[in-house]
Amino acid sequence: MSEVSSAISVNNLWQVFGPNPEKIVGSADASLPRAELREKTGNTAAVRDVSFDVAPGEVFVVMGLSGSGKSTLVRCLTRLIEPTSGSVVLNGEDIMKVSDARLRELRRTKFSMVFQNFGLLPHRKVIDNIAFALEVNGVSKEKRHARANEVIELVGLQGFAYAYPEQLSGGMQQRVGLARALAVNPDVMFLDEPFSALDPLIRRDMQTEVIRLHEELGKTMVFITHDLSEALKLGDRIAIMRDGAVVQMGTAEELIANPADAYVEDFTRDIPKSHVLTVRTIARPLADTETATGRTIPAETIIRDATAAVLDANGPVAVVANGNVIGYIKSRDILQVVGGGTEA
Amino acid sequence: MSVRTEPIIAITPKRISRRWILGGLLLSWIVLAQFLRGKATLELDNPDNSPFTTWAGEVADSIRDNRTDGAAFKFFFNPIREFIDGFVTLSRELIAIPSGSSSIPVLGWLGVISVIGFVVYAVSNIRMATAAVALTFACGALGLWTDSMDTLAMTFAAVILSLAIGIPVGIWAGLSDRVLKAVTPILDLAQILPTLVYLAPLALFFLIGPASATIATMVYSIPIAVRLTAFGIRGVPTSPVEASISMGTTKRQLLQKVQLPMSSRTIIMGVNQTVMAALSFVVIAALIGAPGLGKPVIDALIIRNVGEGFVAGIAVVLIAIMLDRSTSAAISSQDTFVPPSDADRKRRRIGLAIAGILAIVGIVLSRQLAWAAFFPKQIDISKQIASASDSSVKWVTENMEFLTAGLSKAVTVGVLNPLESVLANSPWYLTVVMITLMSLILGGIRSAIVSATLLGAIVATGLWYDTMITFTQTIVATLLTMVVGVIAGVWIGRNARAERALRPILDAGQTLPAFVYLIPMLGFFGPSRFTAIATGIVYSIPIVVKIVGQGIRDVPVNMIEAATSTGSTKWQLITKVQLPAAKKSLLLATNQGLIFVLAVVVIGGFVGAGGLGYLVLLGSSKPELQGKGLVAGFCILLLGVMIDRIAQYMVARNSAPKH
Ligand SMILES: Nc1ncnc2c1ncn2[C@@H]1O[C@H](COP(=O)(O)OP(=O)(O)OP(=O)(O)O)[C@@H](O)[C@H]1O
Ligand SMILES: [Mg+2]
Repeated sequence: MSEVSSAISVNNLWQVFGPNPEKIVGSADASLPRAELREKTGNTAAVRDVSFDVAPGEVFVVMGLSGSGKSTLVRCLTRLIEPTSGSVVLNGEDIMKVSDARLRELRRTKFSMVFQNFGLLPHRKVIDNIAFALEVNGVSKEKRHARANEVIELVGLQGFAYAYPEQLSGGMQQRVGLARALAVNPDVMFLDEPFSALDPLIRRDMQTEVIRLHEELGKTMVFITHDLSEALKLGDRIAIMRDGAVVQMGTAEELIANPADAYVEDFTRDIPKSHVLTVRTIARPLADTETATGRTIPAETIIRDATAAVLDANGPVAVVANGNVIGYIKSRDILQVVGGGTEA
Repeated sequence: MSVRTEPIIAITPKRISRRWILGGLLLSWIVLAQFLRGKATLELDNPDNSPFTTWAGEVADSIRDNRTDGAAFKFFFNPIREFIDGFVTLSRELIAIPSGSSSIPVLGWLGVISVIGFVVYAVSNIRMATAAVALTFACGALGLWTDSMDTLAMTFAAVILSLAIGIPVGIWAGLSDRVLKAVTPILDLAQILPTLVYLAPLALFFLIGPASATIATMVYSIPIAVRLTAFGIRGVPTSPVEASISMGTTKRQLLQKVQLPMSSRTIIMGVNQTVMAALSFVVIAALIGAPGLGKPVIDALIIRNVGEGFVAGIAVVLIAIMLDRSTSAAISSQDTFVPPSDADRKRRRIGLAIAGILAIVGIVLSRQLAWAAFFPKQIDISKQIASASDSSVKWVTENMEFLTAGLSKAVTVGVLNPLESVLANSPWYLTVVMITLMSLILGGIRSAIVSATLLGAIVATGLWYDTMITFTQTIVATLLTMVVGVIAGVWIGRNARAERALRPILDAGQTLPAFVYLIPMLGFFGPSRFTAIATGIVYSIPIVVKIVGQGIRDVPVNMIEAATSTGSTKWQLITKVQLPAAKKSLLLATNQGLIFVLAVVVIGGFVGAGGLGYLVLLGSSKPELQGKGLVAGFCILLLGVMIDRIAQYMVARNSAPKH
């Protein structure tokens, strides 16, 4: 991906907490396990040497266990935490190099954040929470309230504009958080585990909501989560972090089909593969004993969706990509995936 | 050890040997003190000066001579004094003293009461407002309207000035770690500084009078405002702050729109405590010329007129209750960030309008009509109260002599005299060596060095004997306080209902100025060392009980459950689990108790307890002993610092991780 075409470009980003962070970056110590590093130097490498690009309009998901550095990473991207080294380019502008005033301006207009514990201002009404970024940017009350009312509608909070956060349920509070992030019409949104504090049903609602908003507004998003099914639902691409480093990055299918190591595999274990993988990943050459049925199926079809057609065919079905047959599958192949057997 | 299942009570061999050493030390101290009794006690007769106090007197004289011409005075002290004097006069002319050419203050009594009613209603509710009006009226009924108003005006002026400095500094310390680090030692010192210590020095630089009194009050109350403001700012949850920064707030916007509104509750709590501190100090500052209720209290104490002191004391208590209740009502009406509904707001606006009109009517009347300007003399129940209190004190001392005189005698003969003979009436070097050794054992080498240095300094001032007298009384009072405080603390720590019942009393006890406790104690126990001790006990018990109760409540439940499941009795549970686990709180309570007691015991010098407090009082009335008074104040400071340091080192040593 070239620099110009990406909304976010992160290169060799480091964040080390402790007495002498600069010394750790790129040193031999940096590759020590976290506990040893702390023992030896007193530093914690929360983010180590992370690089990635996010395309405009893409939803980029970052996953990892608790403490793997996700929050630190996302805070570095907006300089809520000053990174130890590396570069972050947002829309062609190097965030590390901008002045404080420019940084404030970017925060007020170009990117916004949604937080796990909402971070609403309890002493302000919903509408004033949502209009806060506009307010600090000096937008007149009339204009900012008009805009706030628009996004209130967008997130489905009609009728609650003049309520106070503590009068709302958790799910509604996070809608306020979303609306607040949308109010400035940002280019990029950063969401740090926005739904972890919500119970499962509401979480599902909110995920659908984000998908809808993304489809309607097409924002570039960096979405942090530790929930794989959430990642799969929302993400175009997923980066998996461990001990501050990205261990694997790719589409859901790539991660599940080819986990880089046991850690990634552990993450993907509970996901029904048939719901994620396409038939492309299990297409294979025709065996000598088999004869094609003449039926075809597009290579991008999710295995689950192909099940009926393949079972129905009573024999190998051709998997077609760009008009070419790239292989065949039959019911046994599908059953193997659905039944949880490991594919070759 | 019969109960083997509780690891927390395991006594390490080291601890045992430490106990033995301490016991041995104490025993040899007592024996040696017996042998060397009366030798090298460094006792200095009251009218005499030591070389050091003579020198201090000369320094004080030269400072005084410099007052008109010295550059420091011309450009620093005097302008400050004049500014503050002007401000205080303004505040007094508003409610207490004739303003300008008029014969009455800007507001006569009816005007004052209406304004108080309006303001309290505006910040809390109608009930509080009525109570505040009634309490203020009662001060007038005690025949002390002008004095009460002077106290109120002084408090008001000192509070405004204290907040004007304390809140900005507190905000700064809340925002910046560096500033917090810089002010913390000053705040800590201010907290252990007995009030009596800085009256005389301030009077030296700012003359005796309302200005000095106000400055002294500010020295006392600014740290409180700073501490609570900083605490409030730092207590704002991080997530709204972080979210706001992520939306591009400037530091100023963050402060104005997020941090201040969200910490307003704690800051108002700081205002409440600043007000209470200022009030209690304004009473004591009568010693350096603060007008108001402090004067009749002190006069009554000095001529031992319990009845009159009692009336003035009641007025102080009434004002304290009025100020405390109305400022803390302002806090509780801020319980939630959600404002009242529109209907409520409308009703409230109407209420405010009515109250406002009433207040204006009151003000106008009080400026036009004599009966509304001067508090009616017919309503004066002071004589009745004075004689009632005199006769009830008389009744108690006559009919319950076994209690008053008996208690006093038991403590004096049983504890105070023996301890005094060991600490004060034995050679100074013995006491210095023994205290140093003991603090070495209890608090470690640094604590020993601090003790030795401070004790050495006290010896050098020449006021060793008087310091030891005060120290003895402080120790005895603290011991008794701890006995009562731990029992009550354990009780409220284990019993939520008792806690709820006692809390208002404890809270109230903490807000009253120490002086007012002295009056009834003087009535019961007469002018004696025990009166000082009893006052110290009464004054410091609330804080000790609170800390101990909290400590007991904070003992982890699983610890208690584990012990209960092994079949411990209630007594075992308390002595072997809860108290040891709350050890840190006990130490903290002892430390606080000592500091509180010390502050009061020195005031006890006014009612025959002798020691440093009496020297301070002498110094303020006899010019040739002024230096001695100043040095006595300094010795109180040294004593306070020593006590605090030893306690701090003990706490640090006991809370160090055990492995
Ligand atoms: N301000 C800080 N100072 C020191 N260490 C920190 C700081 N902030 C985070 N860390 C450390 O950095 C590591 C990564 O923390 P981070 O909060 O980024 O993890 P996370 O992946 O977001 O975890 P979670 O899922 O629990 O939110 C942790 O080991 C944490 O202890
Ligand atoms: Mg996190």
